Amino acid sequence: MFFHIVLERNMQLHPRHFGRNLREHIISKLMKDVEGTCSGRHGFVVAITSVENIGKGLIRDGTGFVTFPVKYQCVVFRPFKGEILEAVVSMVNKMGFFAEAGPVQIFVSNHLIPDDMEFQSGDMPNYTTSDGSVKIQKDSEVRLKIIGTRVDATEIVCP
Amino acid sequence: MSGEEEENAAELKIGDEFLKAKCLMNCEVAIILHHKYEQLQQTSDDPMNQVSQVFEKSLQYVKRFSRYKNPDAVRQLCVLGNLCPETVEEAIAMVPSIKTRGRAHDDEAIEKMLNDLSLIKKFE
Repeated sequence: MFFHIVLERNMQLHPRHFGRNLREHIISKLMKDVEGTCSGRHGFVVAITSVENIGKGLIRDGTGFVTFPVKYQCVVFRPFKGEILEAVVSMVNKMGFFAEAGPVQIFVSNHLIPDDMEFQSGDMPNYTTSDGSVKIQKDSEVRLKIIGTRVDATEIVCP
Repeated sequence: MSGEEEENAAELKIGDEFLKAKCLMNCEVAIILHHKYEQLQQTSDDPMNQVSQVFEKSLQYVKRFSRYKNPDAVRQLCVLGNLCPETVEEAIAMVPSIKTRGRAHDDEAIEKMLNDLSLIKKFE
């Protein structure tokens, strides 16, 4: 699920950026550093929406770099164990299938695919029910439940 | 992290920081990301090169899975959710567009919607 949360980060800035545009420099560096990253605790940082507060800078001994504590709001995508979400199938093989929900990769093992669905190989590998009414193939939309997560951003799940 | 083991969204067991955080509907995320993308478009010629893969994938995902394609509907929903009107007249007074714009709900549909909302309120 997507969340809007407040995060804090210490930004180190080179003295050459000091001047009138200090705030802009800090913000653009923050965006470059943080957007698109992933952590086990907060999930994927998708976009920074606003910067709440930039604290007083602290000069680091010996280097001249200054550390600013920055508080910012951002949109994060964090999958939780037990959460049910929708995803788009990206690849199907006999071990199961891969799906994507936003930035997250999800793998569904064939043990967790309903028993009445059989794997069919061919140009368009897919899982089909015996009566052929439901088919999971590339680009299908599936609804699944997350049963486990791994921090490098891959999930294991079941439909 | 011991919290990691106990986390279970089905029982609303999620980390402290997320319990305090605002959760967003896919359609709201779509509005935010789209807005940001437009801003980028103004500042550079090739915005797709500027944004991270995470951003791009998220934008595609929320576009595909947002149930309320019409941003008006999202705002209506949000206002109604915040203000919790009790009667149909009240709701129409607050959000005149539920009667006129989009699907143009009739009184009965609005009444049902308000009942549903008040049910959620009781769960506190």
